[in-house]
Amino acid sequence: MPQLVTVKVNRPDRRPLRFWVPVLPVTLLLFPLVVLVVLAAIVACLVFRIGVVRALGAGWRVISALPGARFDIEQGRLAVLVAIR
Amino acid sequence: MTEQRKDILDMLAAGKITAEEAEQLIAALERDQASAVPGHDTRPKGKVKYLRVVVDATDNGEPSRVNVRVPLQLLRAGVRLAALVPPQALVKANASLSDSGVPIDLTQLKPEQLEALVEHLDDVTVEVDSPDATVRVFCE
Repeated sequence: MPQLVTVKVNRPDRRPLRFWVPVLPVTLLLFPLVVLVVLAAIVACLVFRIGVVRALGAGWRVISALPGARFDIEQGRLAVLVAIR
Repeated sequence: MTEQRKDILDMLAAGKITAEEAEQLIAALERDQASAVPGHDTRPKGKVKYLRVVVDATDNGEPSRVNVRVPLQLLRAGVRLAALVPPQALVKANASLSDSGVPIDLTQLKPEQLEALVEHLDDVTVEVDSPDATVRVFCE
């Protein structure tokens, strides 16, 4: 499971912005929202006749596989980096 | 036996070089031949973990660069997730793809085939060079 998401924004003529987002504490903070999202996913699975357990398992696999992903975009002097660890 | 190897052995036989020097020359020759093989891949096999997409382009005179690294495990997980897409959605997607000029029948794609594709991605390197942009897709 991802532990930390790093976001870095380099803006021209300004100080670079850096955010370190600890995933577990933020998830706990947003727990009510997470529960709502999971419930909505379960309802969607039932509506579209998809196996709920299979769908949740596949979703969990996607989340678990996120560490190591890195997105680095530069346009001129503007740069955005998102790294998931 | 290659001509160069034969020359080295001839020099050894003639006493022009020592056995140690001959061994060093043959080792150097083998290294050169290994690097000269077309399509020879120096990446360690079985250790690739990420799919990298690197795009270098120029937009309105400004250089831009996109560098994306995606774990192969995420691709595999995505394939499993895509396998859950209901058939009616695939039919709609097929129609949209057809309208866009991409006649691919997604219902014929099996998860096993996609997983096999991901498994063999480490052998794939795609490089596209154009005057405005360079795109490289490879595994590392």
